[in-house]
Amino acid sequence: MVLEIHPIILNILVNFAIGLIITVSLNLEVGIAGISQFGRVLAVITGAIVAAAIPGRILASMFGLPAGAEYADHMINYKIVDQINRILAVNLSLSIGLLFLTLVVAAILGGIIGYICSYPALRLKEAYLGITLLAFGDVLNTIAWNVESIAGGTQGVNVPDVFRWIGVGPERYFGVILILIGFGLLAFIFVERLIRSPFGRALKAMRDSEIAAAVYGKDIVRLRAQALIVGGALAAIGGALWALYTGSFKAVTYTRLTWTFWPWAYMMLGGTGNNLGMLVGVFAFSVLRTMIYSYKTEMTAFIPISPQWFEYILVGLVIIVMVLFRPQGLLPEKPALTLPKNRIEEIMKRIKEAEKR
Amino acid sequence: MLDLVLKAFAYSGGIALTAAGITLIYMATRTFNFAHASMVGWGFYIVFAGYSLLGGTPYFYVPLAALFSGLIGVIIYFGVNRYLLKVGASPITLMMSTLGVDLILLASINIFADYLTEVHKLAARYFVLELKDISLGEVNGTSIRAIPFITIIVVVLTIVGLHLFLTRTKFGIAVRATIENTSLATILGINPEKVYVLSWFLGGALAGLGGGLLSITISGYPVIGMTIIVTMFAGSIVGGLTSVFGSLFGGFLVGLSEYLGITGLSLTLGGWILAYRMVIPLAAMVLTLLLYPQGLAGIKIKRLSSQSTRVKPPQGIMKEEV
Repeated sequence: MVLEIHPIILNILVNFAIGLIITVSLNLEVGIAGISQFGRVLAVITGAIVAAAIPGRILASMFGLPAGAEYADHMINYKIVDQINRILAVNLSLSIGLLFLTLVVAAILGGIIGYICSYPALRLKEAYLGITLLAFGDVLNTIAWNVESIAGGTQGVNVPDVFRWIGVGPERYFGVILILIGFGLLAFIFVERLIRSPFGRALKAMRDSEIAAAVYGKDIVRLRAQALIVGGALAAIGGALWALYTGSFKAVTYTRLTWTFWPWAYMMLGGTGNNLGMLVGVFAFSVLRTMIYSYKTEMTAFIPISPQWFEYILVGLVIIVMVLFRPQGLLPEKPALTLPKNRIEEIMKRIKEAEKR
Repeated sequence: MLDLVLKAFAYSGGIALTAAGITLIYMATRTFNFAHASMVGWGFYIVFAGYSLLGGTPYFYVPLAALFSGLIGVIIYFGVNRYLLKVGASPITLMMSTLGVDLILLASINIFADYLTEVHKLAARYFVLELKDISLGEVNGTSIRAIPFITIIVVVLTIVGLHLFLTRTKFGIAVRATIENTSLATILGINPEKVYVLSWFLGGALAGLGGGLLSITISGYPVIGMTIIVTMFAGSIVGGLTSVFGSLFGGFLVGLSEYLGITGLSLTLGGWILAYRMVIPLAAMVLTLLLYPQGLAGIKIKRLSSQSTRVKPPQGIMKEEV
């Protein structure tokens, strides 16, 4: 069974799903906790490295294939991964187990990265913190790019295809997209629930006034670290899913532009602090970016500009326009209601009646 | 060896100029200017395009590069920064706005490079102007190029010029007053807007100047600014972000330690370390921020020489104690 869906729509959905995971994690740290996270790529690349280095090695050692440093050698790697994929294609429970193992390890390492980031995050203010985290991200990217034994270095590695059981070709494509969308919506719901929990309210209190939150007994050090750990874990899951989806890992593609600045643009478009806005912002950008690439031949006939630069100009313009004319985003943050709306109205009615009497 | 040291000096001088530009804009408007990357990149491309299309030596086009990037700075101020300063935007918002500008400028550099490649058949996506530099002579078989000396002269002239401007002219004193306390300066009849425009122009000009000179030292490509902006930020932060002269010195120090440090390490540890070149400025920056956030400008030189002076407390780097 192959569903006939236009490839452009599928492409939009992939970008949307991955973008959503990364952007809600960014929104949790920036919009809710008020930490200027300019190093989102750090956690994303951590997750991607986990996906590139760990599941393949586990299976390789299980089946007696080379699993040490030579696993990441690009001359051997594709052969190993090919064999692993053939095993995975017929073994559903192994594939799913491996998928979840990868995501769990990615989340743990992403959380550790987040915890490490809390060291500067407790000491530096706004822009200084942003620059420091940006520097951290660049360092990890350089390491992944140059140390061949982890994940292939400049040549990159192939990532075992844990979705092979769905099939090959369009079937796999469609199935993976459904799974990715599922994960994206899960991340969205998770952050949404988190924001409305006591923890989320404490984070907002900290963002609005650290001193006031501290006066009311909130441990600022702990809150910041926790927000960074949760955000880092989520972003690492996003990075791991992306690597698993694409089936390959190359450090050079994890730049601060794609995995830090673009999520920032999505977030600013949607409305910093409003989780629902992330859906809107990510979706709008996914549609725009995919359209630019899909219709590049038609476009270059009109404007003789390579679509890549057109995309840069577009993202830049969106950032500037949002900053100048609508800093609160398309969907501004609203106070989160802790009780359902009709319940609150009922209580208000009761209070008014009590006042009348 | 001499060749290497001279090249390191040329590189560090260029970084120092660009770092000074970042600091100048930051001091006046509290804006971390990400667009500096592309302003430096335009410096590279103005020199390259001028030299390739019109001939002469690359040096002719360095002042033009400074002027061009200075004008970009003025456009950024009037287009984006002025409004944001008026509404009192947060430092993060200011920083994000320059990031948006940087993306557009980066695209414009790429489009310009494509134009040069397609219309003028130049190899504009990757170029090396080093060999077009004037040769001053030969020592032990290696030719000595003019660029390190010219860069050092430009850095010294910048220091002297800025010092004279900031201490001897009325407008320069107004600039310092505005940076020190904007509302007080406004009460005394100084128009802060002029100061902001000037700092954006000078900051941009320093970026163009640094970029133009660097284009004769290192190879150029469209994202060169993105590649070296971390070194430029590192120079600016090591310098302390509170003094233009501090960041000139900081940029010089970071550039030298990057260039000479990585070469020294590669001689002892082997060539693999060369790939980690950018870790040096990053480490310098992060360590400065975490251990000594005031940077070089915060070192109490006068107190070291046992004169009692009041040193300005560092502003706005560390979080206030909770």
